[in-house]
Amino acid sequence: MTDWKTMTDAEFRNEVSQFFKTEYPDELRHLPHRPKFAEIEQWHRRLHARGWVAPAWPAEYGGMGLNAAKLLIFYEEQQRWGVNRGRDMGVQMVGPLIIKFGTQAQKDYWLPRILSCEDIWCQGYSEPGAGSDLANLRTRAEIDGDEFVINGQKIWTTMAHDATHIFMLVRTDPNAPKKQQGISFLLVPMDQPGVEVRTITTLSGEKEFCEVFFDNARTPKENLVGELNKGWTMAKALLSFERIFIGSPSLAQNALGQLEIFARGRGAFDDPVFRDRFTQAALDVEDHAALYSRFADQLKRGETLGADVSMLKIWVTECFQRITELMIEAAGPDGGSIGPLQVGNISVDVLSSFYKARPTTIYGGSNEIQRNILSKAVLGLPG
Amino acid sequence: MTSTDMTSSEQEDLRLLRESVRTLFARAGGSKRARTLRDAGGDFDPEMVRELAEAGVFGVAVPEDSGGLGMGLAAGGIIAEEVGRVIAPEPVVLTTGLSLGLLSRLCPEHPKVLQLISGEIVLAVAWQERGPGGAPADATCRYADGKLTGRKAWVVGAAGSRGFLVVAQEDEGQVLVLVEPNADGLVINKRAQADGSALGELSFSGTPAAKLASGNVVTDALAQAVADATALAAAELVGLSQRAFEITLDYIKTREQFDKPIGSFQVIQHRAVDLNVVCEVAQAGVREVLAQMDGETDSKIRARLASRAKARAVTAAKKITRDAIQLHGAVGYTDEFDIALYLNRALVLSAWLGDDAYHRRLWFEAREEEGSAQ
Repeated sequence: MTDWKTMTDAEFRNEVSQFFKTEYPDELRHLPHRPKFAEIEQWHRRLHARGWVAPAWPAEYGGMGLNAAKLLIFYEEQQRWGVNRGRDMGVQMVGPLIIKFGTQAQKDYWLPRILSCEDIWCQGYSEPGAGSDLANLRTRAEIDGDEFVINGQKIWTTMAHDATHIFMLVRTDPNAPKKQQGISFLLVPMDQPGVEVRTITTLSGEKEFCEVFFDNARTPKENLVGELNKGWTMAKALLSFERIFIGSPSLAQNALGQLEIFARGRGAFDDPVFRDRFTQAALDVEDHAALYSRFADQLKRGETLGADVSMLKIWVTECFQRITELMIEAAGPDGGSIGPLQVGNISVDVLSSFYKARPTTIYGGSNEIQRNILSKAVLGLPG
Repeated sequence: MTSTDMTSSEQEDLRLLRESVRTLFARAGGSKRARTLRDAGGDFDPEMVRELAEAGVFGVAVPEDSGGLGMGLAAGGIIAEEVGRVIAPEPVVLTTGLSLGLLSRLCPEHPKVLQLISGEIVLAVAWQERGPGGAPADATCRYADGKLTGRKAWVVGAAGSRGFLVVAQEDEGQVLVLVEPNADGLVINKRAQADGSALGELSFSGTPAAKLASGNVVTDALAQAVADATALAAAELVGLSQRAFEITLDYIKTREQFDKPIGSFQVIQHRAVDLNVVCEVAQAGVREVLAQMDGETDSKIRARLASRAKARAVTAAKKITRDAIQLHGAVGYTDEFDIALYLNRALVLSAWLGDDAYHRRLWFEAREEEGSAQ
């Protein structure tokens, strides 16, 4: 087991970068879609053998035990080399929650299975009536002997059709005085008669989101994580690191690189209007990266990030969208064409970038919700 | 370079510098002073210039062996932000960026260097010329036999200046000369600006001038000094934008309509958040540029960095001051509310040394040139 603490940040970056550069299969770089597990299974096995599946987890649970600075470096390099995050809901979401709030038995049983991807997790939070207003969720879980019995529906469940387990927020006390109270966090196996998964076809034709229906589905009582009716505060406690990660510059940087290659090949830079709009986008990305460094420095100094970190997500996702819109403009009459477009000996999938940019302003708390948060928590505006 | 690359004692020095300049301006009356000076005719206050000098403001980026503090543009930017916050009319960026930027590079031993650092004098810099159509044009102002003939335009600080540093042409190339304010054959036309200041249009006919430096070194020093001043003007706009945003935020928290503060309406809240984000991005971008310029000697790269800063700061200041007027409603359109002073100052600072569209063009061209050189 390597002790990363003895490495400087630069040495660490070099090590990670070299590994992603030489070991990651080229045909999987910058995948335009979310892969099923089978597609990236070989890569996952190599990461697992190396002990690199869970960079943020403490070493005692099989993680890399990285501090915030090295964790950021790890993710920056991962994105720079177009390395797919894999089926990481287990590692990113449910694992940290079990580590923080789970019993010893839960840790012993679930954590190794997350690392090996023996269990593949999906996240059951959103419902048809609970999107931005997540606390409005209605899926019920009632205790029946040694089990919870679950009835209701989840939606926008990413890759549920390729998952073995779902971690979910369910209502366990419908009479609680506030809707945030009375919510619990459950681990539920999906291979049972009461669980039905239907894929949703997105506007780009992909099938990565699902609806999951629960009709008297069951899970043992010991699959409750943390206290009954305390699920809401637990789920929220997880989000602090996520919030800088979701605002990282890499998606926009990669798209800008693609835009430049494509626009150059297509001769779009001959047009002064295009040149100016490209320049605006390029400077938007550079200055965002400067702001990102400011927040990253805070993390590296061991400080906790405030609610103001949400501004990174607002800026970078909207910038990402503008860049992909410029790609479509540069494509001219090819702007509606599905699949890679050839420029010289390089191909750029203009539409797939455009589609990939659309949900970024919706997921992880829509940008409108982020603006609500900033206006109250940072600017102190009333009501 | 990020802030973690800076040592904590450097960070602490910058913090102390910011506090001392902020206190100095606050004691002098903050943005109220800007209004008083404007109403009195638009000049800056020579006494304030001396007080700023005592705080080390003008020599901040001048190397220590030339009598400055040697703290670089990063520190100059901190000061410029504070100047912008109170829309002070004193020519801080002119002196630190242009006048001292030229002299400390070309003739660091000249007595004017210490006079500028000590706040004894201000020297305006005349380097641009107006073409027949009114737009900037190539320089034609001639220097021969100790005399200057021609015109210069867009001279900031011409009103209170104790002389002019003029970049002119001679047979061998560019030359930097010093012209006394009452020299023969010098005519100064002043054009009033939106913030109450004046831009000078100078005309020389056989005007006596003392040569300070000549040749390629002048061309290079001018490029470097203009880059310094451009980036510092960007920092001044960042400070201005931040304060304009704070004033607006206070206003929407207190102004009531429909029995509620208007800041409780979501449409106002989201607009306020957008201004806040624009402001923070500008501050982060401009500070990063200033720190990078301190570590860079190539004049083309420094110019590209300065263009990035000014493009960002102007875009932000335009957005913030104009939306600030809208969020103030009708009173925002009056002269009585300070927010109007911020809009007017932003107009002047945006136009000086090039606005955002101009600098985006320069930035793109510089990037293309660097790309094809590789």
